[in-house]
Amino acid sequence: MTGAELANLLPQMLPRLWAFALRISGDQHDAEDLVQRACVRGLERAHQLQAGTSPLSWMFSIVHSAWINEVRARNVRSRSGMDWDDAFLETVPDPNTRTPEQNAMDGQIVSAVQRLPEAQRAVMLLVGVEGLSYSEAAEVLDVPIGTVMSRLSRARQAIGALFGGQNEKPLKAAANRKDPGL
Amino acid sequence: MKMDDILLLAYVDGELAPEEQLDVEKAINASADIAERVALLEASQLPYRQAYARQKLPPVPDSLKQKVAALTQAYSLPPNVTMRGTSAVGTGAGVNDPVSADAQSILSRSAPPRSRMRVALPWLAVAFVGGAFCCGIVLRLAPGAISGSSDRSGLQVADSGASPWVRAAASYQQLYSRDTVALDSPSPDVSARTVSNIRHEDGIELRVPDLSSMGLTFKRVQRLRFKDKPLVQIVYLPQEGPPVALCVMKDTKPDATISQQRVDRMDVVTWRQAELSYALIAEPGSANLNEIGKQIAGSSVGAMFSQRPSTGNETTG
Repeated sequence: MTGAELANLLPQMLPRLWAFALRISGDQHDAEDLVQRACVRGLERAHQLQAGTSPLSWMFSIVHSAWINEVRARNVRSRSGMDWDDAFLETVPDPNTRTPEQNAMDGQIVSAVQRLPEAQRAVMLLVGVEGLSYSEAAEVLDVPIGTVMSRLSRARQAIGALFGGQNEKPLKAAANRKDPGL
Repeated sequence: MKMDDILLLAYVDGELAPEEQLDVEKAINASADIAERVALLEASQLPYRQAYARQKLPPVPDSLKQKVAALTQAYSLPPNVTMRGTSAVGTGAGVNDPVSADAQSILSRSAPPRSRMRVALPWLAVAFVGGAFCCGIVLRLAPGAISGSSDRSGLQVADSGASPWVRAAASYQQLYSRDTVALDSPSPDVSARTVSNIRHEDGIELRVPDLSSMGLTFKRVQRLRFKDKPLVQIVYLPQEGPPVALCVMKDTKPDATISQQRVDRMDVVTWRQAELSYALIAEPGSANLNEIGKQIAGSSVGAMFSQRPSTGNETTG
């Protein structure tokens, strides 16, 4: 792909890159910086984008790498953790079609994902939210596909622990556990 | 019984073959630990996408939209432009423009073997191969657009007094962090070819100052374009902090002495000499631009990538 071809795609990708950057960094200034740097890098290196790779996944990968580098740099500079802006945990209620419980659930889901450890959150965002396949997520994160699945499984178990009481299925599973003879 | 998280996830998500499903179900019945993990995974089957669709996110900032628009404009081709010149990197050509299959293959051949491998993480890999392409990259800087001031630029040049090309170059420079430059340094060979192309194709008698005595390390030289005229960008890294760029354009106006100004949030030092216009650009505080400008203008520093004996004591980078 040429820089010109990627340049044509970037404006329509921008909202998703912005949302992804916000969700992984939790900060507007960081997100703006990440997306801007990713666009510069992406355009300069568009020739490296292989025919089989989705340009969006590729841009996610660049945004994510930029973020990981930033996190590492900050950890070197200061031991303090990243500041998370809780404003991004809110969701917009939809009173017309959904119950208040469902609306509250949206907020809880977002909150649960955002509070996952960095690596697990990235996998959940790519697979659960952006709809990437395991192999696409593996390429974005530059890890083996097994690592993606294992992180996803651990992320899901952590989230499941928060939601367990709100779902009937765990009770069924728990019943199985109590009666291994079934 | 040991059962890994990956298998359990696949089971819960219904991605296992029937016989594998049976195996997992047996394991669930035999192990409280496995049953609990499966219960947690089942409890985590939630409408993530729907929840995130309702997440209250701030809209894409206008400043970001403008920067991306300017960047994409710089890379987009005017509809009537085709390949200019011949497409050989070595002989210097407009490979910047629509890269033809021929040009592409020439580029591939000129890159180190690493570039032909499929790399999962393009970012780091390009640190090694990006250089092979730099000599051919010509960006089209959009006049005044990068800073997001396109609506008012041109009408109100007076706020900094800078020429439009200096404003465009300064805005472009703002997009570069130290990392961007540090990770992407072409080899001396590639830089030498770029310099040669600038001299022979663009007709700019370029002297690449060696600023190492002033603590600045040469990183790369790029051919950019402003209003369809060549603009050279030479990038240096100080020992710490953001990069410093020396930009050069042809300019037939009379010589002008060094002057310093602020363009957007960048410090800029400009001067004109021998029909070339110079702009040294950096974030405030990253280098003593006035002093560096004086040294360059006074030819008090050596030059790199010397091809011509005209300037005497030059060193090859």
